[in-house]
Amino acid sequence: MDLFDVVGPIMVGPSSSHTAGAVRMGYVAGCLLGEPVRKAEILLYGSFYATGEGHGTRKAIVAGLLGMKPDDYQIAESLTLADQRGIEITFGVARLEEAHPNTAIIRLWGVGDKSIEVQASSLGGSRINVDKIDGIDTNFTGECPTLIVHNLDQPGHVSEVTSMLAHESVNIATMQLYRSARGQKAVMVVECDQEIPQEALTWLNQVEGILKVTYFAGIS
Amino acid sequence: MTVYHSLQELQDLAEDRGVAVWEIVQQADMDASERTAQQSYDKMLEMYRAMKEADAKYDGSLLSASKKAGGDGEKLHQYNVSGRNLCGDFVGKVMEKAIKMGESNACMRRIVAAPTAGSCGVLPAVLLSYEEDHDAGEEQMVQALYVAAGIGKVIAENASIAGAAGGCQAEIGSASAMAAGALAFLQGADAQAVMHAAALSLKNMLGLVCDPVAGLVEVPCIKRNSYGAVNALVSAQLALAGIQSAIAPDDVIDSMRRIGNQLPCELKETGKGGLATSESAEHYLK
Ligand code: SF4
Repeated sequence: MDLFDVVGPIMVGPSSSHTAGAVRMGYVAGCLLGEPVRKAEILLYGSFYATGEGHGTRKAIVAGLLGMKPDDYQIAESLTLADQRGIEITFGVARLEEAHPNTAIIRLWGVGDKSIEVQASSLGGSRINVDKIDGIDTNFTGECPTLIVHNLDQPGHVSEVTSMLAHESVNIATMQLYRSARGQKAVMVVECDQEIPQEALTWLNQVEGILKVTYFAGIS
Repeated sequence: MTVYHSLQELQDLAEDRGVAVWEIVQQADMDASERTAQQSYDKMLEMYRAMKEADAKYDGSLLSASKKAGGDGEKLHQYNVSGRNLCGDFVGKVMEKAIKMGESNACMRRIVAAPTAGSCGVLPAVLLSYEEDHDAGEEQMVQALYVAAGIGKVIAENASIAGAAGGCQAEIGSASAMAAGALAFLQGADAQAVMHAAALSLKNMLGLVCDPVAGLVEVPCIKRNSYGAVNALVSAQLALAGIQSAIAPDDVIDSMRRIGNQLPCELKETGKGGLATSESAEHYLK
């Protein structure tokens, strides 16, 4: 555990899990979308749903979507700010089984043609885990630079990604592979020690069989 | 590589190298995070200044989301300056700052989690009051914050600092132990006495359950910050007088871990037991 997770973080109250963690969730989801949000559907589960009102969980997730960090004074006003920017936001209950009690599903539609569904949980402190992206299991915290690649389940794509990273001198911290079914869609989640340059991401996007490249520089 | 996993190791490292506890904590942070000494120091200073700013920006007219919490810090302030202060200036001030910070947190103001948001008032209450009343320099206060963080890190690694995992002993209890160690350091205690201050403090918080009404960080959390802060004063005073904890500091932490595991989940931030299910609690949000 980092020393500044014991004294710190600087955050807007009242709850590290239900407020600060919720801001981080919205922030990560917004970054993963990769363009400004036009419409958001936020579904809350468990304790997030039950006690979210008093903890400002809804405001916190929306604040994150607007790009705010957990110490932003405007978190309390996020719903008004989103409204002013013409972002359509709806809230609901997430019907899940056996999920972590502090879970949210965030469905986003961007101003362009992008859309994404992110399921994340708040682990305590202000740490979070991204549990699913577009229905496929994932497992990462968003604390370090993270690359998410959707590709066809064919040989060769993993080595394309890893050699690109080696070429850019980016060290891999963790790497996870998931697929919906053999030969169908697969997802690679790579957590890195260094940031990945934009040109490398653009190049990767054009590789045949790579369906979608999402990159998130990490929140500290 | 400087690494410690227990209060004893932290104390031994300081004694063997003939340096202060805070220097070991800073060195270990640098080794673990690749921060330079300056970066680490600046970050701790940022935490301290954020505490100070949060204290200065307290607004007694604010109410929390439930509309039930707020304004008690101002009441305490009025009483403290009324000339009839029962506890004396320093203790009165510590209590006031603790409640104010707890209320600021409930009112969605910016605070420093130390170790959590619910227990964010304990550490700044004792440190800021100490700086004001004892003419201590900011540098010394940052060093004290390192001592507190080192103690908190050992507790986090060996027990817990989350109410959902260990009950309130893990939040207000840990904060109080961190504050007690920091205060003992500020008053010139050696490494051993610093650890005993922390142990004495934690011992008195063992078994404290987490039973927040309506699941909100308001009742009993806000006022508990005041108790946690005063508990730290008592413990530091005992340790400074040379009184030791009969139970070794690391054993106290381990006891907290075992107690946390034995606590039923109803009493660990689920809102299903204790104060949260009292009759009055049912009316809290009405
Ligand atoms: S009662 Fe629970 S939520 Fe409140 S301060 Fe204690 S541990 Fe935190």
